[in-house]
This record gives sequence, structure tokens and C-alpha cells, in this order.
Amino acid sequence: MPCERAQQLEAYLDGELDAASAAAVERHLETCSECRKAKVQIEALRSALREKASYHRADPQLRARIRASLDKETPRPGVLRLFPGARAVWAGAAGGATATALAASLAFFLLMPAANDPLITDITNAHLRSLASEHLIDVVSTDRHTVKPWLAAHADLSPPVADFSNQGFKLIGGRVDFLEGVRSAVTVYRHGAHIVNVFAWADYDEALPDFATRNGYHIVFWKSGNLTFCAISDTSIDDILALSRLLKGLSQTDARE
Amino acid sequence: MDDRRRRFEAQALPHLDAAINLARWLTRSNADADDVVQEAMMRAWRAFDGFRGGDIRPWLLTIVRNCWRTSLGDRKRRGHVAMPDENTQLLGDELTYAGPSPESAAMRSDEGRKLDAVIATLPDEFREVLILREMEDLSYREIAAITDVPIGTVMSRLNRARGMLREKWLGEVESEASHAL
Repeated sequence: MPCERAQQLEAYLDGELDAASAAAVERHLETCSECRKAKVQIEALRSALREKASYHRADPQLRARIRASLDKETPRPGVLRLFPGARAVWAGAAGGATATALAASLAFFLLMPAANDPLITDITNAHLRSLASEHLIDVVSTDRHTVKPWLAAHADLSPPVADFSNQGFKLIGGRVDFLEGVRSAVTVYRHGAHIVNVFAWADYDEALPDFATRNGYHIVFWKSGNLTFCAISDTSIDDILALSRLLKGLSQTDARE
Repeated sequence: MDDRRRRFEAQALPHLDAAINLARWLTRSNADADDVVQEAMMRAWRAFDGFRGGDIRPWLLTIVRNCWRTSLGDRKRRGHVAMPDENTQLLGDELTYAGPSPESAAMRSDEGRKLDAVIATLPDEFREVLILREMEDLSYREIAAITDVPIGTVMSRLNRARGMLREKWLGEVESEASHAL
């Protein structure tokens, strides 16, 4: 049976009582074994919550993202001269050094051409839909010899597909999705706890940035052969660039075969 | 960088950890928490002129909590209620609670992981007061302001939260405690 002063004991342990009330609780503790026991438990819970439970911390990417968003809303007249290329040069994606990526994504953030907005929104929404398990994978397989023909049959597209488990990107399947009404073949990779969706569609010469960030998802675009590719995930931009390099290498091998 | 921006960075950004910690415990998802905090920081930035000084942390955490409530509403309207299902294992910590990154999770004690899992199962209204009180060390008055309920409600929720946690987790500590007395 809990003591009727149990709640006052909690207020005491939470430092919410004035001196007189605190002294009264201390006197009560001398005679009430129920409250003494409760005190030990509350203190044990407190130290467990402070020392053993996870205290999550912001990672540097989130910090950078917030700064980038702040930049966008802070009037900075010099910015146009700092980032002359609103659209980074297409072919430059292969480099992918962190600094370049960061500068490019910042430039993109600040000066994203409005025309690309609907596509990026669509890609982000398609990614979110897939994560909400409504439609992540149509063909579940870690075998490229299953996924590739399936995509060829259902999306009428033949993007390069391979399992990169050794490099940290496990192939988990494929699906067909639509971006702005255009059919795209999607290969789905798992990187640690993150899902990476790689969209591929027939290149129709649209102007695209190299990088974008939307709602915290990083997006990397590239073109290879007659296809346009777009990888999106909540993992780091460097990880996505690593996967895009692996896939570009694969496109070249496919082309030679 | 202009003065307003400098003041905002100096005052608000040091509390980004508190913001993300609250958001992770509320959303139980890393990606959702990042989005909630990003949105919250931008709202804080836009509302910064209305901040009347004093301790900025409770003010920020109020905004974080409001953004989380808004995101819950959005999800329900879109029908995106995160319910574990047969695809859950594909999504890792997005839907099932698996703590922070895999590496640091591996280094953490079993006890810590169990405790995290128990906290994650507490209903929202009890989980939030517990995090604000025990991890952020905020007063009843501050918690009442953040969660938009009277102080009496904060006290009874805290009492219930501790009761649930004790029941679900403290079994072994309790037996040690009775030895100690």
C-alpha cells in the first residue's frame, strides 16, 4: 500500500519543495519504511536514466543541414558571387571528395533552380512512401540475375544491378516506381540501418543538379549511357556517393560486355 | 553573418543535443527526429525575435515538441502510422527502436539497451515528462509549459511514469534495495 505522502516524496526528490516542506519529508522518512524504499527506487531509476539510458546527440550532418537552412533564410548579398554555378557541371559528380560534395550541396541549397523542385519533391515522396512499407520492393532478391531481368521485364529498363555487400551496400530487391509520371526502375540497397533507393529512368535531357537535400534526405544524380540515375537515402552524402561510384563503374563494365 | 544570426547560433545551437535527444525519444526514429529538429530550429529562428530572454532551452524544447505533435498529425492524415509489420526488419531503426548507431549500440551494456526499450514502450505523455525531468533536469513549471498541461498533471504523470518504469525494469534493483534497507 503506497504511503499517502508518496507524491510529496517525489516532489522532494525533484527539488520542488521549499525548505520547511522538505524538512517535513525528511522527518517523515525516518519513520516510514515504505517511503524509504520508494526513495531508493526513485534514485536508482534516476541514476539509470542518466547513466545507462541513451542520451542522443546531434550528428555533424544535422548541424550542417541546419546551418545550411539558416543560410538560406539569412540575407547574404555576397552569396551569388561566392557560388557562381547554380547548376554544378554535370560530369563532375565522379570526384565526390567531401569538401566538393559539401560545397556543391550548399550551393545547391542556396540556389536550387526552382524548375527542379517538383522532381526532387517527387523523389523524396517516393522514397518516403517506400520506407513507410507501402511499396518498398516488388522483387525481393539479393541476386542481380533475378533483379535485373525483372526490371527489364517490368520497367522496360536495364540499369546496372549488383550486390555490393562487400562494400557495405547489400542488394535487397527492386521495384517499379513513377516519378512525375515517368516510369523508373528502382534498385533497393541496404546500408547498415539505412535504405538507399536508386531510381533509373530514360534520359530525356532534363537539367539536374549533382546533389540535393530535402527533408534531411540526401539525393545524388548522375547520368550514364542513356539513363539518368538518382540515389536517395538518409545515410551520409559520402555513402551515397560511394554507391554511385560503384554503380557508375558497373555501367562502364556493362557497356563493354 | 548578421547580429541576429550570430545571437541565434550562440544561444540556440548549444542546445541542439537536448533538442535531438527529446525528438529521438518522442519519435523513436532517427530520421524522423532529425526532420522534427530541423523544422523546430527553423521555426525557432523565425520566432527568435519573440523570445524574451531567460533560459532558451525550455523555449526550444517547447518548439521541438510542437513540431513533433504536428508531424504526428501529418502522418495520421496521410495514413502513415508507423506500425511494426512484416517489413519491419527491412527498415532497421526506422520503425523498431534499436537505439543510436549500431557501433555505439554494440558498445552499450545489455542493461542500457533493456532500459531504452522499456522507456520506448511508455505511452507518449509519460515518456515525455520522464525525459524532460530526468534527462533534461527541468522543473515541474518548465515541464508544464512545454507539455501544455497544469503542474498537477505533470506530477501525476511523472508519478505514473516512474511507477511503470519501476514495474517493467526495476525488478532486480528492487530486490537489491530491500537488502540494503
